[in-house]
Amino acid sequence: MKTKFLFPHRFKIIGWILFVPAFILGLYSIVSNKNMATINCKVFAIFSDSEKGSFALTDANIFTEIIAVLLICGGLLIAFSKVKDEDEYIARIRLESLVWATYVNYALLLFAFIFIYGLPFLDVMDINMFTILIFFIIRFHYFLLKSRKVLKHEEQA
Amino acid sequence: MKNKLKIERAIKNITQEELAKKIKVSRQTINAMEANKYVPSTVLALKISRYFGKKVEDIFLLEETD
Repeated sequence: MKTKFLFPHRFKIIGWILFVPAFILGLYSIVSNKNMATINCKVFAIFSDSEKGSFALTDANIFTEIIAVLLICGGLLIAFSKVKDEDEYIARIRLESLVWATYVNYALLLFAFIFIYGLPFLDVMDINMFTILIFFIIRFHYFLLKSRKVLKHEEQA
Repeated sequence: MKNKLKIERAIKNITQEELAKKIKVSRQTINAMEANKYVPSTVLALKISRYFGKKVEDIFLLEETD
Protein backbone atom coordinates (compact mmCIF):
# COMPACT_ATOMS: atom_id res chain seq x y z
CA MET A 1 0.00 0.00 0.00
CA LYS A 2 1.64 3.20 -1.17
CA THR A 3 0.33 6.28 0.57
CA LYS A 4 -0.90 8.80 -1.94
CA PHE A 5 -0.73 12.56 -1.67
CA LEU A 6 2.60 12.72 0.16
CA PHE A 7 5.16 15.41 -0.48
CA PRO A 8 8.71 14.54 -1.54
CA HIS A 9 11.16 14.03 1.29
CA ARG A 10 13.04 17.30 0.80
CA PHE A 11 9.91 19.30 1.68
CA LYS A 12 10.12 18.13 5.27
CA ILE A 13 12.92 20.50 6.20
CA ILE A 14 11.02 23.39 4.65
CA GLY A 15 8.10 22.42 6.84
CA TRP A 16 10.21 22.64 9.98
CA ILE A 17 11.63 26.00 8.96
CA LEU A 18 8.13 27.40 8.51
CA PHE A 19 6.61 25.70 11.52
CA VAL A 20 9.02 26.19 14.42
CA PRO A 21 9.25 30.01 14.57
CA ALA A 22 5.52 30.33 13.99
CA PHE A 23 4.84 27.80 16.73
CA ILE A 24 7.02 29.60 19.26
CA LEU A 25 5.52 32.98 18.45
CA GLY A 26 1.97 31.65 18.38
CA LEU A 27 2.31 29.75 21.64
CA TYR A 28 3.79 32.77 23.35
CA SER A 29 1.07 35.07 22.10
CA ILE A 30 -1.70 32.77 23.34
CA VAL A 31 -0.08 32.17 26.70
CA SER A 32 0.76 35.80 27.33
CA ASN A 33 -2.50 37.05 25.79
CA LYS A 34 -0.62 39.98 24.38
CA ASN A 35 -0.78 41.43 20.93
CA MET A 36 2.74 40.55 19.88
CA ALA A 37 3.16 42.68 16.81
CA THR A 38 1.12 44.85 14.58
CA ILE A 39 1.48 44.37 10.86
CA ASN A 40 -1.20 46.46 9.29
CA CYS A 41 -2.08 46.23 5.67
CA LYS A 42 -5.04 46.15 3.31
CA VAL A 43 -6.68 42.77 3.07
CA PHE A 44 -9.42 41.42 0.87
CA ALA A 45 -12.15 40.14 3.18
CA ILE A 46 -14.68 37.72 1.76
CA PHE A 47 -16.49 37.83 5.07
CA SER A 48 -16.03 40.57 7.58
CA ASP A 49 -17.92 42.44 10.26
CA SER A 50 -16.10 45.69 9.61
CA GLU A 51 -18.02 48.72 8.41
CA LYS A 52 -16.98 48.02 4.83
CA GLY A 53 -18.86 44.71 4.88
CA SER A 54 -18.12 41.60 2.82
CA PHE A 55 -16.20 41.37 -0.43
CA ALA A 56 -14.26 44.55 0.26
CA LEU A 57 -10.78 45.76 0.95
CA THR A 58 -10.26 46.59 4.58
CA ASP A 59 -7.41 47.33 7.01
CA ALA A 60 -6.34 44.63 9.40
CA ASN A 61 -3.50 43.44 11.60
CA ILE A 62 -2.35 40.30 9.82
CA PHE A 63 0.10 39.06 12.47
CA THR A 64 -2.06 36.12 13.55
CA GLU A 65 -2.92 35.35 9.94
CA ILE A 66 0.76 34.98 9.07
CA ILE A 67 1.35 32.73 12.08
CA ALA A 68 -1.64 30.55 11.17
CA VAL A 69 -0.61 30.19 7.53
CA LEU A 70 2.95 29.25 8.53
CA LEU A 71 1.72 26.75 11.11
CA ILE A 72 -0.69 25.10 8.70
CA CYS A 73 1.62 24.96 5.68
CA GLY A 74 4.67 24.04 7.76
CA GLY A 75 2.73 21.48 9.75
CA LEU A 76 1.33 19.82 6.64
CA LEU A 77 4.77 19.62 5.06
CA ILE A 78 6.29 18.07 8.19
CA ALA A 79 3.44 15.62 8.68
CA PHE A 80 2.96 14.52 5.10
CA SER A 81 6.38 14.59 3.50
CA LYS A 82 7.73 11.16 2.70
CA VAL A 83 10.15 9.59 5.10
CA LYS A 84 13.47 8.76 3.45
CA ASP A 85 12.57 5.09 3.03
CA GLU A 86 8.82 5.24 2.75
CA ASP A 87 7.33 1.78 2.42
CA GLU A 88 4.20 -0.19 3.32
CA TYR A 89 5.11 -0.59 6.98
CA ILE A 90 5.70 3.13 7.39
CA ALA A 91 2.38 3.68 5.62
CA ARG A 92 0.62 1.61 8.24
CA ILE A 93 2.37 3.49 11.03
CA ARG A 94 1.24 6.73 9.40
CA LEU A 95 -2.36 5.60 9.38
CA GLU A 96 -2.26 4.44 12.99
CA SER A 97 -0.66 7.68 14.11
CA LEU A 98 -3.33 9.68 12.32
CA VAL A 99 -6.11 7.69 14.00
CA TRP A 100 -4.43 8.11 17.36
CA ALA A 101 -3.98 11.85 16.86
CA THR A 102 -7.64 12.22 15.90
CA TYR A 103 -8.78 10.36 19.00
CA VAL A 104 -6.55 12.39 21.32
CA ASN A 105 -7.52 15.66 19.67
CA TYR A 106 -11.24 15.01 20.03
CA ALA A 107 -10.90 13.63 23.54
CA LEU A 108 -9.29 16.90 24.61
CA LEU A 109 -11.88 18.89 22.67
CA LEU A 110 -14.71 17.01 24.38
CA PHE A 111 -13.11 17.69 27.72
CA ALA A 112 -12.80 21.37 26.85
CA PHE A 113 -16.41 21.64 25.73
CA ILE A 114 -17.64 20.12 28.94
CA PHE A 115 -15.37 21.89 31.41
CA ILE A 116 -14.27 25.19 29.87
CA TYR A 117 -16.65 28.11 29.44
CA GLY A 118 -16.62 31.73 28.47
CA LEU A 119 -13.74 33.55 26.87
CA PRO A 120 -11.07 30.93 27.72
CA PHE A 121 -12.87 28.62 25.34
CA LEU A 122 -11.78 30.89 22.53
CA ASP A 123 -8.20 30.01 23.38
CA VAL A 124 -9.16 26.35 23.18
CA MET A 125 -10.60 26.81 19.70
CA ASP A 126 -7.50 28.74 18.67
CA ILE A 127 -5.23 25.89 19.68
CA ASN A 128 -7.55 23.15 18.48
CA MET A 129 -7.16 24.28 14.88
CA PHE A 130 -3.60 23.00 14.94
CA THR A 131 -3.41 20.29 17.57
CA ILE A 132 -4.41 17.38 15.38
CA LEU A 133 -1.42 18.03 13.11
CA ILE A 134 0.83 18.53 16.11
CA PHE A 135 -0.32 15.31 17.80
CA PHE A 136 0.18 13.39 14.57
CA ILE A 137 3.69 14.79 14.10
CA ILE A 138 4.63 13.92 17.68
CA ARG A 139 3.17 10.41 17.55
CA PHE A 140 4.56 9.50 14.12
CA HIS A 141 8.07 10.73 14.86
CA TYR A 142 8.06 9.17 18.33
CA PHE A 143 7.34 5.89 16.66
CA LEU A 144 10.05 6.36 14.02
CA LEU A 145 12.62 7.22 16.71
CA LYS A 146 11.62 4.26 18.86
CA SER A 147 11.95 1.80 15.99
CA ARG A 148 15.33 3.24 15.06
CA LYS A 149 16.52 2.66 18.64
CA VAL A 150 15.32 -0.96 18.46
CA LEU A 151 17.31 -1.39 15.25
CA LYS A 152 20.47 0.00 16.90
CA HIS A 153 20.21 -2.61 19.65
CA GLU A 154 19.82 -5.38 17.15
CA GLU A 155 22.69 -4.27 14.95
CA GLN A 156 24.27 -7.70 14.96
CA ALA A 157 21.04 -9.60 14.22
CA MET B 1 1.01 -15.35 10.86
CA LYS B 2 4.39 -16.84 11.59
CA ASN B 3 7.38 -16.46 9.37
CA LYS B 4 10.75 -18.08 8.89
CA LEU B 5 12.39 -14.87 7.82
CA LYS B 6 15.09 -14.94 10.47
CA ILE B 7 16.00 -18.53 9.64
CA GLU B 8 16.19 -17.84 5.92
CA ARG B 9 18.29 -14.79 6.58
CA ALA B 10 20.68 -16.82 8.72
CA ILE B 11 20.95 -19.48 6.02
CA LYS B 12 21.85 -16.85 3.46
CA ASN B 13 24.00 -15.08 6.05
CA ILE B 14 22.83 -11.53 5.47
CA THR B 15 21.88 -8.78 7.89
CA GLN B 16 18.48 -7.12 8.13
CA GLU B 17 20.01 -4.05 6.54
CA GLU B 18 21.25 -5.96 3.50
CA LEU B 19 17.97 -7.77 3.04
CA ALA B 20 16.08 -4.49 3.32
CA LYS B 21 18.26 -2.97 0.61
CA LYS B 22 17.78 -5.94 -1.69
CA ILE B 23 14.00 -5.94 -1.30
CA LYS B 24 13.87 -2.13 -1.34
CA VAL B 25 12.06 -1.65 1.95
CA SER B 26 13.10 0.02 5.18
CA ARG B 27 15.01 -1.91 7.80
CA GLN B 28 12.16 -1.28 10.21
CA THR B 29 9.93 -3.35 7.94
CA ILE B 30 12.23 -6.38 8.03
CA ASN B 31 12.62 -6.01 11.79
CA ALA B 32 8.88 -5.69 12.33
CA MET B 33 8.18 -8.77 10.21
CA GLU B 34 10.70 -10.88 12.10
CA ALA B 35 9.24 -9.70 15.39
CA ASN B 36 5.81 -10.76 14.11
CA LYS B 37 4.60 -7.20 14.44
CA TYR B 38 3.79 -6.78 10.78
CA VAL B 39 2.19 -8.92 8.10
CA PRO B 40 3.61 -8.01 4.70
CA SER B 41 1.53 -7.31 1.64
CA THR B 42 1.24 -9.99 -1.01
CA VAL B 43 3.73 -8.17 -3.22
CA LEU B 44 6.30 -7.93 -0.45
CA ALA B 45 5.84 -11.59 0.53
CA LEU B 46 6.33 -12.63 -3.08
CA LYS B 47 9.43 -10.46 -3.42
CA ILE B 48 10.95 -11.95 -0.27
CA SER B 49 10.17 -15.50 -1.31
CA ARG B 50 11.66 -14.92 -4.75
CA TYR B 51 14.81 -13.52 -3.18
CA PHE B 52 15.25 -16.60 -1.03
CA GLY B 53 14.33 -18.90 -3.89
CA LYS B 54 11.49 -20.49 -1.94
CA LYS B 55 7.71 -20.60 -2.15
CA VAL B 56 5.69 -18.06 -0.19
CA GLU B 57 4.09 -20.83 1.88
CA ASP B 58 7.54 -22.07 2.91
CA ILE B 59 8.41 -18.75 4.51
CA PHE B 60 5.07 -17.38 5.68
CA LEU B 61 2.86 -19.67 7.71
CA LEU B 62 -0.80 -19.21 8.53
CA GLU B 63 -1.71 -19.66 12.17
CA GLU B 64 -4.96 -20.94 13.72
CA THR B 65 -5.71 -17.44 14.97
CA ASP B 66 -5.54 -15.86 11.51
